[in-house]
Amino acid sequence: MSELSEKERLLRVLNREKVDRPPVICPGGMMNAAVVDVMNRTGHTLPEAHHDEELMAELSGDVHEYTGFENFGIPFCMTVEAEVLGSEINFGTLSCEPKIQKEVFPSVAQVDYKEIASILKTGRIETVIQAGYRLSKRFPDVPLIGSLTGPISTAASIVDPMRFLKELRKDGRNAHRVVDYVTDLLIEYAKLMLDNGADVISIGDPTATGEILGPKMFEEYAVRYLNKLVDGIHSLNSPVIVHICGNMNAVKHLIPKIKSDAISTDAPVNLRLLKEEFPFLTTMGNLSTFLLEFGDPQKVSAQTERLLRDGIDIIAPACGLSTTSSLENIKAMTDTVKKQP
Amino acid sequence: MPKGKEELYKKLSDAVVQMEEEETVRVAEEVVAEGHDAYEAIDRGLADGMDRAGKLFEEEEYFIPELLMCSDAMYAGLDVLKPHIRREEQGEKHRVVLGVVEGDTHDIGKNLVKIMLEASGFEVVDLGRDVPPGDFVEKAKAVRAHIIALSTLMTTTMGEMAQVIGLLEREGIRGQFKVMVGGGPISQSFADKIGADGYSVNAAEAVRLARRLVGSRP
Repeated sequence: MSELSEKERLLRVLNREKVDRPPVICPGGMMNAAVVDVMNRTGHTLPEAHHDEELMAELSGDVHEYTGFENFGIPFCMTVEAEVLGSEINFGTLSCEPKIQKEVFPSVAQVDYKEIASILKTGRIETVIQAGYRLSKRFPDVPLIGSLTGPISTAASIVDPMRFLKELRKDGRNAHRVVDYVTDLLIEYAKLMLDNGADVISIGDPTATGEILGPKMFEEYAVRYLNKLVDGIHSLNSPVIVHICGNMNAVKHLIPKIKSDAISTDAPVNLRLLKEEFPFLTTMGNLSTFLLEFGDPQKVSAQTERLLRDGIDIIAPACGLSTTSSLENIKAMTDTVKKQP
Repeated sequence: MPKGKEELYKKLSDAVVQMEEEETVRVAEEVVAEGHDAYEAIDRGLADGMDRAGKLFEEEEYFIPELLMCSDAMYAGLDVLKPHIRREEQGEKHRVVLGVVEGDTHDIGKNLVKIMLEASGFEVVDLGRDVPPGDFVEKAKAVRAHIIALSTLMTTTMGEMAQVIGLLEREGIRGQFKVMVGGGPISQSFADKIGADGYSVNAAEAVRLARRLVGSRP
């Protein structure tokens, strides 16, 4: 099977088929691999590349070339969705990722529901779509991952997050309405990505953790709307990866209910044990991003080997990479996977 | 038949734990109407309730939505009771300058720490989120803070914490402030590495740490 292309390998794993070795990927969005080391070498830089489809495509190509990650992952931030829904975005700098400057609505009861078809034409959605289209045409053998900000995180990016978290309990009717609405938007956005060359959709939902929500709210909101989104993407015949942040202790029993094709986890989770408990899960992760930033190549390589020994299906960073992580460390990770016998 | 103050304090505490904002206000008004001591009612009623809510949070019985609703009840009760505190009881509180470091706009954890510190009698100066290192130092000097508390949820901005400490050292005032750090990607080893005085894993622990750092109950 040595002739598997990067795209074939990833799609086969997500389809539970046999492969020669695990893919090593970084899906973009929350897990953006456009580190400063890459940008300094090529001059294709952020924050400009957030706004320019050709720069975004070039930078994504650079990331693939220099880091060794076996995919393209766009966009490079988690703010595309919140921006089109009206929140104020600070686009950051070369080394600092974009962030929500101000959520547009004070409470779930005050959300203004715009027509989704009209929203899709605004903000940077078209930039991401066009960048993806170019990448998929230029490099048909490299899988293109379209990254989404998950329903809970998107909702908490348009409604003041403290109010939002309270209102999950206090004003369930409106909270459900908001999360349902952003999920509908995410499905339509994913559809545009898939129609324009994306092979896989990856969802990162850092506000939807067990530590923040607890098991009851996680099930009532996170599982429900992640699955609505996953179902919507599956109906477009695309595989889906869902990343869960945090230690998952409080919500581990709910993880098998998430219908994605792979579950990606954060560093505190022991993926070997998770696989033992739920053998049917396709697991992805979870090389410490702390190690990638502050460790050395030997340690990175040793930890990557451990993940390989543990039979993790897709090797990836555990969470968002620091933009100051060195290429040397990232290469140590990807090279270790690729030199698998 | 007027109710005993012990019974009312217990009711206040229970109403906070049970996230019942209206009930908290009602009982607080009763405390005032009965002429009980407002300061004592805050300490043994509202703060006690938040303390119990914090324990439930640590035991993973409560999570952030629940803790926030408890804090709403507590603050509603405080609004009723605060105007009735007698001046001599107000004393000087330990001051904490708190914020999320520059580059990060996630402030849920920071807000929880603020709530728990205020419930425990600290005076908190909240600089908000995305705060440049120099602002922490300037504000801490201006209000003569005892503690500078730094939060981040993002691995990408952890380095900012070290910058705040570096700034204090360069100005030769590192010894004047205790620096505590916390947030998702932060660990004790990271805190040690950057020379912070303490790390806390959650908001309830942050209160114990802050008390330890100032060497007493505030």
